[in-house]
This record gives sequence, structure tokens and C-alpha cells, in this order.
Amino acid sequence: MRDSRRVRLTLVLLLLTAFTLTALDYNTARSGPLAALRRGIDTVFGPIERTVGGAASSVGNALGGLPRLGSYQSENKKLQRENERLRGIIASRDGLQCQVDQLDKLLNLVAYTGYAIVPARVVAVGATGGFEATATIDAGTADGLASDMSVVTGAGLVGRTTEVSSHTARVLLLADPQFSVGGTLIGQAALGIASGNGSKPMTVSLASTKSVVPKGAVLLTTGSDTYAPGIPIGTVTGVTPDTNAISRTATIATFVDVSSLDLVGVITTSKVRAPRVPLRPVLPTSTPCAAAVPQGPVPTYSPTPSATPSPRPKAAVTPTVTPSP
Amino acid sequence: MTVQRFLLGTSSIVTALLLQLTVIGRLPVPGAAPDLVLVLVVAFALAEGPMSGMTTGFLAGLLADGVADHEMGRLALAYALVGYVTGMLQDDDHSALQPFGAVLFGAVTWLLTYSAEGVLLGDIRLTWHAVARVAVSGVPYDVVLTPFVVPLIGGLVRRLDLDPLRRL
Repeated sequence: MRDSRRVRLTLVLLLLTAFTLTALDYNTARSGPLAALRRGIDTVFGPIERTVGGAASSVGNALGGLPRLGSYQSENKKLQRENERLRGIIASRDGLQCQVDQLDKLLNLVAYTGYAIVPARVVAVGATGGFEATATIDAGTADGLASDMSVVTGAGLVGRTTEVSSHTARVLLLADPQFSVGGTLIGQAALGIASGNGSKPMTVSLASTKSVVPKGAVLLTTGSDTYAPGIPIGTVTGVTPDTNAISRTATIATFVDVSSLDLVGVITTSKVRAPRVPLRPVLPTSTPCAAAVPQGPVPTYSPTPSATPSPRPKAAVTPTVTPSP
Repeated sequence: MTVQRFLLGTSSIVTALLLQLTVIGRLPVPGAAPDLVLVLVVAFALAEGPMSGMTTGFLAGLLADGVADHEMGRLALAYALVGYVTGMLQDDDHSALQPFGAVLFGAVTWLLTYSAEGVLLGDIRLTWHAVARVAVSGVPYDVVLTPFVVPLIGGLVRRLDLDPLRRL
């Protein structure tokens, strides 16, 4: 008799326990009574994930060098082995080159934004079930990470950290429906809240109905407690007016493709802020027109929504004007 | 419960969850990725019955909840229920297609339970679009995983004769 009283009693107990845990953990924002349990699981699981995740991606890099079956003479076999070995080396070098390129782009972003960035590798993606867009990276509190820090690649915003253990951190990716970030459209003076939509494209709800929002306008983070300002998010692909007529919703093509993440960076420090000095009136001098120096071209930032690195604005070059006598 | 049986359960749950997070989650398949942990729970339920199915499901779910970004206990509840209902199918039918049917039944049960929990808790991730996406991609992928997992777990349980839970 399989369906005995004992089995049913255990089922009811297990379901009640699970539901009690859910109720205890509901709406607690990482500080509830179960935070310790969660942190414990992370602390035990994180290092294993790191090891397995690193090994899994090295295997992926070397896949191009998988030996094929040879059925010829021994010399042929030897040559084939040699060939495969070399191919494996090339494949792993391609993988390394790819990482070098990604690191290079991150460095560009550091130079562009002025933030200190801790580089990390993605060791695990997603959770069981398929409703969440999260990733695990191999850096944690030991590397200076904390929860609610911006995660970026060279192309733009990836997400923010949530649970951080000593050597791993979980990242809520921008495709997740629970992800939202304040954004500003470059040159449009339009503010909005961008939020993830799962497998559908990201949308931004714009507070203004008046300003013109052209396709291709670039959305940057506005900056908040969590997100550093000025990180590229994506470009506008279309605008639809909302039924309430006080806001509009624009769809966004993000610069970062969250389905193929490898190397990311976590912004750990706030921007080094130049001291604000009050502007003082300048007493007019004998040559009042001397200040009217022609300005150099204004640097504009317009990355393309692709993996290719966009040209970073160089320091504005001011042409030296020699007044003709 | 013998120590060996406990070790088999624990190691297979941890292995399945690690594979899920590091390999299966990154597979470039269209739609939602398959759920290896769910197939493992069904495999234990088919090999040893509802008691084994629901305890495996509860513990695997608790661990999966710990490394996910939602409330603790949600997957534990869903997987425990899946282990129970698929465990009740054990021995009803010995055809070669039975494991596939059980995994399909388990996956649909999981989706309905998890969605119901999500609606109850007001989870904004549970949209019609997201549920439909899992139903048309994740659930069939789970069925595809069946022949890789169910015979393996069944074989291990029989071979080591570690089935004290079967007679409960």
C-alpha cells in the first residue's frame, strides 16, 4: 500500500514547511529570518559553482580541438593527433583572445566613465524554472563587492548584484521583469524607468509626452543609490503612447546581450568627484572679447547596439586659433 | 535510511543543480532551458515511490531556492508535490513510454504549482507570455532529458539495492 497515511502525512508536512518558509521569506529584501540560511547555501555552493563553471567554460573553449576518429596508418594518426593538438591550442587561444578583447572594452569603459571596476567571470546562468534572468559571477565580498552594485560590460549595463557571498555574487540581469533602472535619453531631456520583460525586449516608460523621441536615441542610466550614472543601456527602437496619455513607452534594444555573457565588471566605487568651486563673477577687463574662443567639437557618445566596440570620445580637441593681425 | 542511500540522494541533487546552473542554463536553445532537477525528482519517484520522490523534491527544491532570486520554499513545495504525484504512478504501467509520460505529467504539475504560487505571491515574472514560453519549450525539453536521467537513477537504485524507502 503505497498511499499510506504516513506518506500523506509526510506530504502535508513537507508542503506546510515549504509554504511557511515562503511566507517567512516574503517581501524581506535579503534581511529576513531566512537570510542566514540563504547565505549558508551560497557560501557552500558558491565555490563549487566557481570551480565547475570555470571548468565548463574551458571545455567550451577547447571544443574546437576535439579529436576525431582516424582510421589510417600510424603516421597519419600521429599527424592527426598533432593537428588536433594544435587546433586545440588555437581554439583555447581564440578563447583567451576573446577574453582579452572583452577586458579591453571594459578598460575603455573605465577610461570613459571614471569608475573603478572589478572584473569577474560569469560562472553560472539562470535558475531552475526559466522565469528568472540571473547569473552568478566569481567575485564576492572578498573582492570588495556588496549587494546593489552596477554590473557592466564594455558595451553597457548588464544588471545589479543581489546576493553576495565571500567569493561569488548573484547578478539580476536587465532582462529580468524585477529589474528596473532610471534612464535618461541623451539629448532629449526625457527621463524614464526602464524595466526588463523576460524574453521580450526591454521597455522604458517615459515621463514626458511632449519631447520627440527619435529611433536610435541612446538611453543612459540616470544614477541612483544602486546604479552609477552614465552607463549606456540601449537604443530606442520604437515608441508607443500609453492609454493614460501622461506617459509613453519606448522599446529598447540593449547594448548587452545577456544570453552570451562571459567577462563582466562590477562598479565598486562611486565616481571620483571633482571639488565644486563656486563660480565667481569675473571683473571685465580691457579686452572683453578675448574670452570668445571658438569651441571644439562637442563630444557625443553614440554606441551601436552590437558587440563591436564603439569609438570612445577622445578628449575634445580645441583648435588653436591664432588671431590674424 | 542508510548512509549510502543518503549519499546517493545528496550527491545526485548537488550534481544535477550544478549541471543545471553551469551547463544547461547556458545551452543556446530557443525558449526556456530544460529543468534537470525536475527530471531527477521524477526519476527518484519512479524508482522508489512517492515517499522518496517528495523528500528528494523538497530537499532539491530548497537548495535550488537558496541559489535563486525568489522566496525560499517555492521550488521546494512545487518539487515535493511533483515527487508525490509522479511517485503514485510507480508500478502502474511498465511500458517503455511510462517514464516519458511521468516526466511530462511532472513538468506540467510543476508549472501549474509554481505559477499558482507566483500568482498568490504577486510575482511580476509570472506573465502569460512567460508561462506559455516555459510550457512550449521547457516542458518538452524536460521530456527529452528523460532517457538520460531516469534509467541512470533507476539503475543506481536497483544495483546498489538501496531502496528502503520503496516499501514505505
